Amino acid sequence: MSVQNTLKGFRVTFRHLLKRPETIGYPEKKTPVFPRFRGRHRLWSFDNGLEKCVGCSLCVAACPADCIRVVAEENTPDNRVSAGERYARIYEINMSRCIFCGYCEIACPFDAITLEHEYELSEYDRGALVYTKDMLLAEHPKKVPLREDGSAASG
Amino acid sequence: MPDYAPVDLTGTDLVEFELNGRTVKAPAGTMLVDACAANGVEVPIFCYEPRLGDPLGACRQCLVSVEGIPGLTTACSTPVAAEMMVDTVSEEVREAQDGILELLLENHPLDCPVCDKGGECPLQDRTFRFGPGESRMVEPKRHFPKPLKLSPQIALDRERCISCYRCVRFSQDVSEDGNLTMSERGGRSEITTFTGDSYNGRFTGNVIDLCPVGALTSIPYRFTSRPWDIQNTPSVCASCSVGCNTELTLREGEIKRVQGRDEPNWQVEEGWLCNVGRWGYGADQAPQRLRQPILRDGGETRECSLEEAVAAAGLVLAHEAHTTVLLGGDVTVEEAFIAKELAAGPLPDAQVGSAGVVGAALGPLRALPAAQLGDIDGADLVVVVGGDPANQHPVAELRLRKARRAGARIVLVGPRAQELESLGESIRTAPGNLAEGLTSAVAQIATVKRPLVVWDELDLDAEPDAAVVLATALGDNAAASQLELTSEVNGAGLRALGVAPHSRLVDQDLGGVLAVRANPGAGPGGDAWNRALDSGGPIVVIASHHSELTERATVVIPCSSHFEHEGVLVTAGQRAQRLRPGAAGPEQSAPGWEILIALSHRLGVALEYRSPRSAFAAATASAPALSGLDYDTLGDLGAEIATSPASDVNGAGAPRAHDGEGLPLVTGRSVFGGPEAHLSEGLVVTATGEEAVLHPAEAARLNVADANLITLNSPNGECTVRLRLDPGAPEGAVFAVRGVPGGTVESLLAPDRAPVNVTVNTA
Ligand code: SF4
Ligand code: FES
Repeated sequence: MSVQNTLKGFRVTFRHLLKRPETIGYPEKKTPVFPRFRGRHRLWSFDNGLEKCVGCSLCVAACPADCIRVVAEENTPDNRVSAGERYARIYEINMSRCIFCGYCEIACPFDAITLEHEYELSEYDRGALVYTKDMLLAEHPKKVPLREDGSAASG
Repeated sequence: MPDYAPVDLTGTDLVEFELNGRTVKAPAGTMLVDACAANGVEVPIFCYEPRLGDPLGACRQCLVSVEGIPGLTTACSTPVAAEMMVDTVSEEVREAQDGILELLLENHPLDCPVCDKGGECPLQDRTFRFGPGESRMVEPKRHFPKPLKLSPQIALDRERCISCYRCVRFSQDVSEDGNLTMSERGGRSEITTFTGDSYNGRFTGNVIDLCPVGALTSIPYRFTSRPWDIQNTPSVCASCSVGCNTELTLREGEIKRVQGRDEPNWQVEEGWLCNVGRWGYGADQAPQRLRQPILRDGGETRECSLEEAVAAAGLVLAHEAHTTVLLGGDVTVEEAFIAKELAAGPLPDAQVGSAGVVGAALGPLRALPAAQLGDIDGADLVVVVGGDPANQHPVAELRLRKARRAGARIVLVGPRAQELESLGESIRTAPGNLAEGLTSAVAQIATVKRPLVVWDELDLDAEPDAAVVLATALGDNAAASQLELTSEVNGAGLRALGVAPHSRLVDQDLGGVLAVRANPGAGPGGDAWNRALDSGGPIVVIASHHSELTERATVVIPCSSHFEHEGVLVTAGQRAQRLRPGAAGPEQSAPGWEILIALSHRLGVALEYRSPRSAFAAATASAPALSGLDYDTLGDLGAEIATSPASDVNGAGAPRAHDGEGLPLVTGRSVFGGPEAHLSEGLVVTATGEEAVLHPAEAARLNVADANLITLNSPNGECTVRLRLDPGAPEGAVFAVRGVPGGTVESLLAPDRAPVNVTVNTA
């Protein structure tokens, strides 16, 4: 009885020895994420360079973690930053507070902000977690592999 | 903004009517919207505004059905009557209201995300609560270039306008400048000025509060905050002694906006503000703002920390044989009280004085029943004695206009040409003749039911005989009341605390000087003050802004502005009202009371007040006029203080004699040319300056020409100003505007504002 059970257990072990591992060799390999994964924010511009954000602060109102700060200013003919009358002079997200709920993306009437896939956000310095508008407008430096719907994580 | 007028459901003249099947009550004649609101039923409105006079019925949003009236009727312009059957929720009514809202939105751009009104917009709110929720309109909306500058402070976005006419009615029926109008018709209607140029005036900013959409917005506030970014604090305007109730908007550590309160003080400003009250907050961010304490040691000037400055102030004052405490006219009751305590204890051999005049003969007048500003429009005769309410106490002007519209007779008696003269009978008196000029007004006071006298402290101080005449006339009519327009913001509070004017100190050896929000060198008798300060000891200044005095002081300690600290001001009508801090102020500044307490610690006799509240409690215990008041009884709307008992009248038999050669000088001040107007970025374009005004005939006699610089000389000093000739100006006197920052007209006056004559020469 006991020998039999022991062998049964070993069988499971040996079967898995022959399988490909489920774990991912992070950080050498990135964990792929679903297309709807909510990671680091990105602010978007139009092709002509004007920012989509008009500094309306609706994201600030929607944010349950109170991590966004917008200070708006008026566009002038010599300094036209956004497509609307107003633009965000300061747009900051405090990433140490953000809970990645995506409400800002839902609130935005101009599709100016989206949550992208990047998730490697750790820093040595808390101050560096306050992302400025320029950081948010820039293309994300690290590319994250996408996981096909239904595919295995190691895909 | 108050949407509906306050309705008193406790009165005796109530009628019963049926509202949505319920039997409810309201005073007969109340407009249906107000009667419904008082009974808990909201009828949507846009054009109705209880303060704009008769309803207009422009927007049609308030349609309800009333049995017996064919079709639907506008609730804003239908008075309640007994046994009326009103339905505000039937299918028919709902459909009509939805339809109107859909139509109002037909041309509205719905650019709420970039609109300053978004989030606190009646149109937004009512579109959520009423209306169909979607539009069937597919046609293109109208487009205009935007925004236009309706005035240097007001942005006009014509696309957003729903043609409710509120701003037009304000301009026509409240401020009565009549300059705003609607041009074109139908979908092309737009707000514009008759004259085609900028909408300038003293009260223009109110149209921003009135606009139920984002068509009229404030340029200084433009795009600085959204309603969920801000914190609002009820406070009081400290730019003049009217004491309008305000709401301060804080964002990012700064005051970004001042506006009328949602729940106005019906006894004071009724929700209106003048433009200085609305945009004067900009002075807090001006370069002249003191942000760092300064020490002057020998020839060396250096910045230091608050602690160091207070320690230094304690050191220099403690070493003086005697000291003088000079208070500005706008120190709070708490600051004045603590300063008095300092003088009574820790400060060596100290005397205290404040800005303002003695007003020896004004006691009997002050002892008569005090009216509130709100009482003006209930009077049947309003006599305005002296002063220039339009420029010196702006919001009082709106009350006078309202009284006139309500049928009151207005009589203006005084030595100045002023804009309100067209309101009624105007009697222009030569300087020294005020008592005589009052004859007809006095006769009228005896014959009417509710006479009210609005009097100017300075003018009656100069002509005490007129004050006695007035007091006698008012005393004879039991229903008469009086409203003093004090020259100093907290003049009544300082008087209640027993602080005497500092003019008596100017000839004395001042010793060490502690100046709290005071700058006597820029006030009347400035030259004499500067001489006294020169020969006195070290000067410690507690002030919020740079001035001539801070330039010469040994220690300068920055204190909070009136937007940043807590305290009580006693404003017109003897009304004690609370200032509340809307922002924290510069890092290296502190509230005046706190600095004074810290100073007492340095001087070795610590005063034990831990908050303005406890200082006020001690002040009320020591001053009979304030007794019974505390912060809770004052609440948001303030309360009247006790009237001071009549004092003896000395030397009131004749007007005070004029000193010097030449023509008598009549001065006036304008809030719109005062420090706030000149320091605030948003106001400086419309700020008025110093000038002298002469009648052309007088100018010809004196051989001076229009628009030239002239020199005025009085026994107290000299000043050079630009001359304006005005046929409306009285002959036989020179009029000059004082109180402009950097101006010199004040130096012509004596420290105690004794009347002077001046000689006039081309500069
Ligand atoms: S009238 Fe006087 S108190 Fe009122 S807002 Fe204007 S300056 Fe302030
Ligand atoms: S509110 Fe009654 S018609 Fe506009």
